[in-house]
Amino acid sequence: MMPQFDLLAICSAILLITTFAVVARRGFMDWLNAYRYQSIALAGVTAIIAFVTGIWEIYIAAILTFVIKAIVIPKVFLRVTGGLAIKNKIETDPYISIRSSVILSALLVVFSYFITEQFPFKFDKVVNAFLPVSISMFLIGIFVMIVRKKTLNQVVGLLILENGLFLFATSLTHGISLIIEVGIFIDVIIGVIISAILMQRINYTFDSMSVANLEKLRDE
Amino acid sequence: MFADFNATRVILGVLQAFLLVLFAPLITGIMKKVKARTQKRVGASIFQPYYDIIKLIKKDETVSEQSSWVFRLNPWINFVAITTATLFVPVVMAYSPFGIAGDILLILGLYGLARFFLILAGLDVSSVFGGLGSSREMMMSSIVEPAIFIMVLSVAIVYGGTDVSTIVNSAAQSPLLIPTTIFAAISLFIIILAETGRLPFDNPATHLELTMIHEAMVLEYSGKSLALIEWSKSIKQITLLALLINIFVPFGISSDVSALTLGLGLISFVIKAVLFGILIAFLETRVAKWRLFRIPDLIAIAIASSLIGTTIFYIG
Repeated sequence: MMPQFDLLAICSAILLITTFAVVARRGFMDWLNAYRYQSIALAGVTAIIAFVTGIWEIYIAAILTFVIKAIVIPKVFLRVTGGLAIKNKIETDPYISIRSSVILSALLVVFSYFITEQFPFKFDKVVNAFLPVSISMFLIGIFVMIVRKKTLNQVVGLLILENGLFLFATSLTHGISLIIEVGIFIDVIIGVIISAILMQRINYTFDSMSVANLEKLRDE
Repeated sequence: MFADFNATRVILGVLQAFLLVLFAPLITGIMKKVKARTQKRVGASIFQPYYDIIKLIKKDETVSEQSSWVFRLNPWINFVAITTATLFVPVVMAYSPFGIAGDILLILGLYGLARFFLILAGLDVSSVFGGLGSSREMMMSSIVEPAIFIMVLSVAIVYGGTDVSTIVNSAAQSPLLIPTTIFAAISLFIIILAETGRLPFDNPATHLELTMIHEAMVLEYSGKSLALIEWSKSIKQITLLALLINIFVPFGISSDVSALTLGLGLISFVIKAVLFGILIAFLETRVAKWRLFRIPDLIAIAIASSLIGTTIFYIG
């Protein structure tokens, strides 16, 4: 018997696994690699959606996803963080411990599957596979931004959140118009650059990348 | 079920259990060799574990005066419990004739028995290291076991039951890579690393007191007892690998009793077992041992993974 693949389900599994890699690991390179693989998977998913719906514009969105999210943004990050001390790249003391946040993220995934089940609409196969995944990526991105102290980790959380939104829009609407997609991509790049500059300023001023330090009052 | 219980199948079932028992030290040897080669060492021969066992069996045994019967009985209980567990695991054919006597929970129970006596033996000799190893092992097993049971649950709901033969049979007939089983496989892989004391959890090669877990408990053993303990450790490792292989990548396994398919099943099992051994050895060279109190992080990943797998099965 030939083994068959349920391609959509496997893609959603890969997206979830890479999202969890960000929650479960402590080092910056691990997050960045997880984000890179997630973006490659996301480009693949977009191409699958383009193939299923037959709209050629989505292919361009897939290529843009691959080029910008899997190549450009990681490169920008590597450049920006090149001079940072290693202590600023490792999340040693998050607000919620890593093991608890892994379990809580699993519960967030359960929650997003649950609320997708409650929607009173009938969806096609693509939406069924990717809607809960996109909602859980969104929630986990927010969660990472809330519970982590290091700005690098928070920016990675923001990028995951953005990936979740992109997946949400693409799977639900089968391709919003290309102009909007390009606008969103430029938005993301600008966001990354601004946050990179912000991170450098924080690092320069406080000699640390921990957001916890920003809460202290300084009288100078 | 009882109709299948004929003589040929029983003999084949016993044979495949023997295969696991005999093949076990070889996998350990291959893993050690791969590890040595990736670290730019020549390494011992892949048959070195067999030589070790033969040498240890010929040697005399020293037993502490302070120890009780638990210490002397433990290697035998370990060996018997772990070898009994091999009888329930399908290896070359997708069926184990002793499956009517027990399912995957019995296998875990037998491992629990073996581990319980190992912990007692570690405490029994009243050496400092034994107690240290025992307390660490208890801490680890108490957090690994919930992960195992959630993993078993997510496998059982996909393949319809906790009986290993049923699971392997329906796994061989269902499509490869169902998402639930991907998550369960990640979980089982982490559990195997924890159960067999591989690197992120425990360093199998060390005798440094700060890092030992398993080695600390068996530090007082020598001669035949040590041979039995080493051997049963290898058998446990290959049995868990056989479970991983036959539940998650079962293609090539024989579903009927004919020489050709059984040969194919044997060859594919050996290839897959060696590949998994090499994978684990490579992984061991890439990671350092984690601090003891970071171990729950990995177990949390295993639990979360099984939890997501279960959810996807019901709602996805």
